[in-house]
Amino acid sequence: MADLAVEGRATVEGRDGEGFEPEVVGFLCNWCSYAGADLAGTSRLAYPTNLRVIRVMCSGRVDPETMIEPFLHGADAVMVLGCHPGDCHYLSGNYQAEQRVRTIWMVLDHLGIDRERLYLDWVSAAEGARFADMVSEFVARVRTLGPAGGGPASREGLSRGEFAFRAEVARRVAGGERFRWLVGRNKALSEEGNVYGEKVSPHKAAALMQSVIADECVRAAIEVLAGEAPVSVRDIASRLGISAQLVLEQAAYLKRRGLIELYDVSGRSPRYVRAGARA
Amino acid sequence: MQAMQASCVKPRIGVYVCHCGLNIAGVVDVVAVRESASSLDGVVIARDNKYTCSEVGQKTIADDIRDFGLDRVVIASCSPRLHEKTFRALLEKCGMNPFLLEMANIREQCSWVHSGDSEAATEKAKALVRSAVARARLLTPLSRSEGRVVPKVMVVGGGVAGISAALYLGNMGIKTYLVERQPSIGGHMAMLDKTFPTLDCSLCILSPKMVEVAENENIEVLSYSEVEKVEGQVGDFRVQVRRKARYVDEDKCVGCGDCAAKCPVRVPDEFNRNMGERKAIYIPFPQAIPPAYVIDAEHCRYLTQGKCRVCEKVCERGAVMFDQTDRIETIEVGAIVVATGFQPYDASNKPQYGCGRYPNVITSLDFERIICADGPTHGKLKRPGDQAVPKRIAFIQCVGSRDEHRLDGAGAYCSRVCCMITAKQAFMIKEKYPDSEVYVYYTDMRTAGKGFEEFYQRGRGEGIVFVRGKPGEVREEEGGSLRITSEDADSGCILDLSFDMVVLAVGLTPPEGLVDLAQRLNLSRSADGFLMEGHPKLRPFETSIDGIFLAGCVQFPKDIPDSVAQAGGAAAVAAATCSRQKIEMDPLGPIIDEDLCIGCRLCEMLCPYGAIKVEKTDRGYKARSIEVACKGCGVCGASCSARAITMKHYSNDQIVAQTKALLEVS
Repeated sequence: MADLAVEGRATVEGRDGEGFEPEVVGFLCNWCSYAGADLAGTSRLAYPTNLRVIRVMCSGRVDPETMIEPFLHGADAVMVLGCHPGDCHYLSGNYQAEQRVRTIWMVLDHLGIDRERLYLDWVSAAEGARFADMVSEFVARVRTLGPAGGGPASREGLSRGEFAFRAEVARRVAGGERFRWLVGRNKALSEEGNVYGEKVSPHKAAALMQSVIADECVRAAIEVLAGEAPVSVRDIASRLGISAQLVLEQAAYLKRRGLIELYDVSGRSPRYVRAGARA
Repeated sequence: MQAMQASCVKPRIGVYVCHCGLNIAGVVDVVAVRESASSLDGVVIARDNKYTCSEVGQKTIADDIRDFGLDRVVIASCSPRLHEKTFRALLEKCGMNPFLLEMANIREQCSWVHSGDSEAATEKAKALVRSAVARARLLTPLSRSEGRVVPKVMVVGGGVAGISAALYLGNMGIKTYLVERQPSIGGHMAMLDKTFPTLDCSLCILSPKMVEVAENENIEVLSYSEVEKVEGQVGDFRVQVRRKARYVDEDKCVGCGDCAAKCPVRVPDEFNRNMGERKAIYIPFPQAIPPAYVIDAEHCRYLTQGKCRVCEKVCERGAVMFDQTDRIETIEVGAIVVATGFQPYDASNKPQYGCGRYPNVITSLDFERIICADGPTHGKLKRPGDQAVPKRIAFIQCVGSRDEHRLDGAGAYCSRVCCMITAKQAFMIKEKYPDSEVYVYYTDMRTAGKGFEEFYQRGRGEGIVFVRGKPGEVREEEGGSLRITSEDADSGCILDLSFDMVVLAVGLTPPEGLVDLAQRLNLSRSADGFLMEGHPKLRPFETSIDGIFLAGCVQFPKDIPDSVAQAGGAAAVAAATCSRQKIEMDPLGPIIDEDLCIGCRLCEMLCPYGAIKVEKTDRGYKARSIEVACKGCGVCGASCSARAITMKHYSNDQIVAQTKALLEVS
């Protein structure tokens, strides 16, 4: 069975909880939160060294895939910081960021990754002290979560390989067309209505999103597991802890889309490989 | 791989690690950072310099670009928000594309915040440099687009700062629009009686300036108007201004006052702090500019009840126009100066002092109107409760200022002017009524300014009693007198005194509506609620938005000379913007891969600027970027359902490369 290894930090010692130093990647918007972080510096307000910052023009620039990417390379947590609601330099980018984070939380919940590892908040250019406090508090909270994929030392209890597998599934879900369309339209669906002008209640929209996430997670997991070597539906089902019927349905969909192909039938369970892997 | 990536030639990167004197080198082991950088893929030269931004530091980079044939430059120093422009200009001078620069912020976001842990700070600095190098490898040359410059300026706010800025600009020959919310320009300064420390009559020095504004052919006053919406960017703003219905034709009205004489409706006069009355058709004060009457639609009998129209009948010039409505005017300007001032702290938020409950407790601005010859008492000091002349007067300082709890809208900051306002007012009482007794309860007397301390000492010499201590409460006694029990911190005695009138020296707070205005203009506010300047030391007139500048108290409380000085500076930088032939704009827009685009319209729906449109092509519906409207936020790129959009300069490839590099084990 495919077992993805975490790149980078995977070999570092001290990831078992003892002397655990969280690795935190932060995406900060240029106009408010990055400026706030600069102000913390100018004001010499100390905070833990665990945060590593990537500057983007707007929190709305942070792609849902990008939010998950750090987890594939050994990060224990991710911060997305933008301008306060109403203060976005680009009018509404922060609302987009919020929409994405909220939906990714649903994906993480579904996959058994603690949603607290993805943090969203607002920092204005004047809030140097707030930024410093926020980082200190968040790093402390990540310490209590334990290392991502830290086994028993982590909140989720996932092994390094299992965490990486699930993070990869989450990344693929976040890159998927259906998911991205729904994230982008979610707010408008309940506020402006769909193409037929029917407004979807927030509750219904959430239920729709939930079912899409469930499907997409299974599809992504099959794609990850069906790599160079064939894998049977039965094995996928037992790995994911779901019924073989569900796996078969989604595998059929992926096969129709030409993403995986049937390898053979082993026992009574069909085996699939990545499309083209056979040649 | 990114479409625009410059061929497969291996990049030649130069890395410069700045000591910034000891600012960085005092915490971070810069030599170790440099050594770690020199081993990174693509780095051909890594150096550490004392001050990279200095002449010497810049020359080193220029020499290396030439000698080593560098095609990427990474500078590990302060925040890119400070020096990115400097180094981009350097690259341009050396014949390189300015967008092939990347900075690692190892000062504001490393050495300055991790001074307690050199080892971890050094490791973090290494990671930040690694990330910058990883991004630099993927940077592509970009060309800036050019925007036009409208050589006009809008000044928002017609107080002394706005008036001064407009005059400076008008006198430079620049067409200037002065937008004022009230029916007349003049602001708070028009309400003051005297100014400190020279005791100049406030309106006597302001009113000639107001007339000058009216007469300057380059200045157009848009009174009774508010900014509704702002679009565009530096050099080319489109401002929508709501011209509120005045119901009086400004050009026809000569200010004779016949209308007001006959108007049957009496309303409290806000210019006199509601201590006198005005009519529903009124002129705010005799020297108002424009010198035209205005109808208060909220109280006008015709506009509220449908009959009256007396003013219309008596106006010989036919200036009253009941059919006027609000209208929106769109004005194009190249720069905007924001000078919307302040509002006095609402003292009724401090119930312990009784303002609003006890008639004889007033604020310093009320006092200005009472002592002013044009005010409700014609300059006679009379207390509002019973119009008696007060003999014993107390001033309480720092009401709504220096309040660390910051409840009820009070500021933690010092409002800067209240000490001198009180010194002035106390002096004026002593001058007019030498036998009165004046007490000032103060926290600290702050008299930093030309001639301020001398003036304050003169007041002490006149017998004004200064008591160090902040009273806990003011109690009303029979007959309307007021009792204050307070410790005199200098002598340690408890003073229990009765006064005829109490004046609260209220602080200056951000003006009403500033939150909305800041959002419309996209400006940041400081923690105190005032607008934030571009840099606390070096860019006091600028804001975070190019082409929008600040003057006066909207940035922070200041006195009249400081407001005028800042107005001059703001006018100078606004004029500099307008004198440019064209504005270069950063090219941060999207690149759309038409092979991937499925025409789903998500980008079109989410773009806040309408800068991306889906059009029918012979290959079906495809998204197209409208470059001039695009501001480069990247929402389209991050949302694209087909992942067909790459953002210039902030591509997913670059962000992923940075992520990986940050988390690599060194």
